[in-house]
Amino acid sequence: MSGAVLVSNLISGVLLGGDLALTALGLSLVLGVMRVVNLAHGEFLIGGAYLGMFMLQLFGIDPLVGLLLIGLILAVLAYPIQKFLLSPLIEKGVEAPMMTAFGLSVILQNVYTILFSGDTRSIERSYATEPLVIGSVTVAQIYVIGFAISVVIIVLVHLLVSRTGFGRDLRAAATDPTAAGIMGVDVKRVYALTFALGAACAGVGGTLIGLAFSFTPTSGSGYLLTNFAIMVLGGLGNIFGTLIGGMLLGFLQSLGGVTLGDGYRELVGLVIFLGVLAVKPQGLLSRGRI
Amino acid sequence: MNTWRPTILWMAAALVVIVLVPLSTGEYGIEIGFRLLLYIVLGEAWNLMAGYGGLVSLGTASSVGIGAYVLVGMLNHISPSLPLALTASAVAAAILAAIVSPAVFRLRGLYFTVGTLALGEALRLFMINFNYFGGATGLFLRDDPPSPTGLYIYAAVVFALATIVISIYTRSRLSIALRAVRDDEAAAAQIGVRAFRVKLAAFTVASALMAVAGALQGLHLGTIEPYGTFGLQWSIDAVTIVVVGGMGQRAGAIVGAIVVVALAELLADYPELHVAINGLILIIVIRFAPAGLTGLAKRWWQYRKAAATPFAPAAGNAS
Repeated sequence: MSGAVLVSNLISGVLLGGDLALTALGLSLVLGVMRVVNLAHGEFLIGGAYLGMFMLQLFGIDPLVGLLLIGLILAVLAYPIQKFLLSPLIEKGVEAPMMTAFGLSVILQNVYTILFSGDTRSIERSYATEPLVIGSVTVAQIYVIGFAISVVIIVLVHLLVSRTGFGRDLRAAATDPTAAGIMGVDVKRVYALTFALGAACAGVGGTLIGLAFSFTPTSGSGYLLTNFAIMVLGGLGNIFGTLIGGMLLGFLQSLGGVTLGDGYRELVGLVIFLGVLAVKPQGLLSRGRI
Repeated sequence: MNTWRPTILWMAAALVVIVLVPLSTGEYGIEIGFRLLLYIVLGEAWNLMAGYGGLVSLGTASSVGIGAYVLVGMLNHISPSLPLALTASAVAAAILAAIVSPAVFRLRGLYFTVGTLALGEALRLFMINFNYFGGATGLFLRDDPPSPTGLYIYAAVVFALATIVISIYTRSRLSIALRAVRDDEAAAAQIGVRAFRVKLAAFTVASALMAVAGALQGLHLGTIEPYGTFGLQWSIDAVTIVVVGGMGQRAGAIVGAIVVVALAELLADYPELHVAINGLILIIVIRFAPAGLTGLAKRWWQYRKAAATPFAPAAGNAS
């Protein structure tokens, strides 16, 4: 393999990692704030990809134009899930909401299969396949577009959490929900909005992933685990850590793909996840919290 | 010793059922009975971790898969002895559990579920991509598997062994420590319980039992491939069996396995709908009957007893 191809591969990995960091951020927010391990996050992500595909097929709306609408739809759909399924269980510890989310994940995977068939799908756009050539380095345009959009949204989420009144409530509820409640924070509202925000991140990131890769009703579980790997690399609740964790994981996955064969990409992510858990479970980059 | 009497009665009753049912129902009965016995073993093992130890695993598939692969490898290449192969399966899964335990026991159990899920997926991807163990196509048993009746007898023996192991375990000091860790790991550590070792013991014993169940399934199929053997379905089934039957309830696995096998038979023609309904049942039971069907039955029983004797205090669920 020539040097240019290797460099192109690694850059593609880093760019893709930024995209995955956006979806991992949604997972990380929900876990950090609500202590809910959302095992249905991968299905939210794939839901975003399907939405983007059908928007284009049925209404001719370009997924990039409809990106915010997709995020909004996911947020609205996630709201009743949090309110009626998860919220009543949150006080009963970590397991009950987590297993409920697992049940939801199982349901969604199979409902997708029943409704949309098990076929492999992709969102066909010219910019999704065209390469971007800079010197001898070649990367797919969609990787650059997805990376840019993801970074912008991650920065916006950071500003939301660190600079707004809602962000203050969110940080208070994450640190100590009881104390926050006594001080007048509407913790239930914070939870509902956080879960909606998490789902929106998954939906937007999922559409971008759907533009770059083909997907099936069950693709979500692989992305879920990749997101966990990114979260652990970046440190739970560390927003920019998540971005860096995503880029790092993308880089390492590409490196694994190049050296061991393409089939090993995902496996590399899982091994890194288990390795980091064993060595430094607070996250390699952890310093600050939300 | 008195606490043993119900268990012995239970086992005797179960043994009678196990022997009589297939004799009277023929091949179909043996097939269903075999699956039921496997599922009970899986459920018992999963219940030991989750019900008694608070270790909610989504990695049943990894133990099942390891068990099946080791069994086929042993029978094809090392020795035709089935007991030896089954023992090797159990030992391999226990070793794997011990190896990954530093990773999955971190952060007070939060990552145990995700870690075990990742482990199962990692093994599946490894088996698909790594060519030495048959790759994506899998492996075949070289010799013919035992007859359905022979398999059924093996499953019954494994079931009996698993029941004995779990019965002894749940009455031992180890299980008291395990429940203490489940309820409050920090407090348990304060009074001298070595939380890591206690969890590791449950994890390895459960993984070994699941591997034996997986090995029997591999023997039953005669051919194994990574997609099914390491498939998430095993994990979904184990979770559903115990949650529906009752977490931390001694009879939970048996009740849950009957429900899961019956549901699978009922919806055999609609695989996607079946799994979706599985998920729905999971959500409903967790929300409205956290102690499962056995928990519901116990509550109903206590309610009736309390109604009959007005001055008796209502006892809580002992688990």
